[in-house]
Amino acid sequence: MDEPVIELTGVAKLFDARGVIAKALDEVDLVVRPQRFVALVGPSGCGKSTVLNLVAGLLDPSAGSVRYRGNPVERPNRRVGYMTQKDTLLPWRSVADNIGLPLELACRALGRAERHDRVEQMMELVGLAGFGRHYPSELSGGMRRRAALARMLIYEPETLLLDEPFGALDAQLKLVMQQELARLTHLRQMTVLFVTHDLTEAIALADEVAVFTRRPGRIRRLCKIDLPQPRDIVSVRFTPDFAGYHDLLWNELKEEFGTGGDA
Amino acid sequence: MSASARLDAITAVTQERRPARAVPLVAVGRVLIVLALLLFWQVASDRLAAQLWVSDPADIAVRLWRWTIDGTLGLHLLATIEAWGAGYVTGGLCGIAVGFLLGIARFADRVLSLFIAALYGLPKLALLPLFVIGFGIGLQSKIALVATVIFFITLYSTRDGVRDVDPDLIASLRIMGASRSEILSKLLLPATLPWILTAMRISVSITLVTTVGGEVLSSNRGLGFLIASSSARFDTTGVFAAATVLVAISAVVNALLTGREAGASRWRG
Repeated sequence: MDEPVIELTGVAKLFDARGVIAKALDEVDLVVRPQRFVALVGPSGCGKSTVLNLVAGLLDPSAGSVRYRGNPVERPNRRVGYMTQKDTLLPWRSVADNIGLPLELACRALGRAERHDRVEQMMELVGLAGFGRHYPSELSGGMRRRAALARMLIYEPETLLLDEPFGALDAQLKLVMQQELARLTHLRQMTVLFVTHDLTEAIALADEVAVFTRRPGRIRRLCKIDLPQPRDIVSVRFTPDFAGYHDLLWNELKEEFGTGGDA
Repeated sequence: MSASARLDAITAVTQERRPARAVPLVAVGRVLIVLALLLFWQVASDRLAAQLWVSDPADIAVRLWRWTIDGTLGLHLLATIEAWGAGYVTGGLCGIAVGFLLGIARFADRVLSLFIAALYGLPKLALLPLFVIGFGIGLQSKIALVATVIFFITLYSTRDGVRDVDPDLIASLRIMGASRSEILSKLLLPATLPWILTAMRISVSITLVTTVGGEVLSSNRGLGFLIASSSARFDTTGVFAAATVLVAISAVVNALLTGREAGASRWRG
């Protein structure tokens, strides 16, 4: 098979929170091959977001190695697009100017006219058409998420790191956006690492789902989702295979919720 | 961060008193008050207090007219505005530049902050004799004084503004592929701009006070010099005439600044 895009080997990450050492990740091994869509699920605070930060080159592992296309991750990793859980739109830029920002940078500068066209297309795609001149402070939380998603997708990075991108969206819009993400990543042959709380979302979208344990996070189970790609995000939920995967993964996951039983 | 809190408080106050302007009744009331005070002053002079101590509005008006015609007013007004403006611009820009450097280079900031804080606390007027020795009694010593005052105001404000930029925003731009200069131009500069503008705004009146104060203490030109030299000759009318011009300047400047306030940025929601 192809060389892995992302490769974590024996990765641990410790955080020093005011003198108290907290272990966020412990012995994580994960391989993401080209054009695979890998979802990370697990309880809150299990270190899923830390994995993304490591791959993005914003954090260094305390032990083990994080490699991107065979080499240690650069700081920061400019070959990925990263949509963090936190809002990182620039408040003084309009929605259109925020989305067009990556195309203003010298490394992929486009002319004004072409940039404008691409921004218009992108806003159409994420359902923000007509809101280009608004400022982030004038939008709802869900709309800001969509703007951040558009800003990342517009420059089509080869790998996407997504941290609960659809968490704040209403159910209908969530489906539309999931479908668009599936279509786009398939079309552009992107590799995706996707953090979510939503098991249904993970199974519907991903080729592989990694279930994390409670903190310190380890991968409890890595499950291949053998549903044919590309999928219809809505109808795939009603197939018997889907229900099987859901049962299987939910049984793994539910043991990580609830109290007691921690090693 | 108390400096920034103070700046915010000041901005909040200046932004609050915007409405209730279009009412002509307010203007009429204001004019009436001024007229009544002037009339009282005119009548009371030499009745309630000696003319030598309090002068009177008619004399002051005559004096202002004479100064305007013989060029005295122009000379001194220009000197004050020149010292004020030149010090404001050079000191302000230097403060912004150094503020940016310290905001970005944390290590330099840690090393230097002690010295900067010590100098900031020093009453700058006390440095005037030094500046006069170094730059002479003319405009340059006043420019240096004003520049020193505004330098620290814009320095602190710019530095705090740069520090206040969310590190996650910087990280997201770097991942997007932004170079160092692009992070400066697309993130740090626009994010810090409101801080800089607030510092520049509060500095306007602070530096005017500094300019005139410096001129009163030691100078050979300027409105402050006019006040000091008139007072030395027990020329109360001259003191009041020069003070009147200062009141007018202050009123004009404040009107201009509050007018600009209306165009405050929409993105701050």
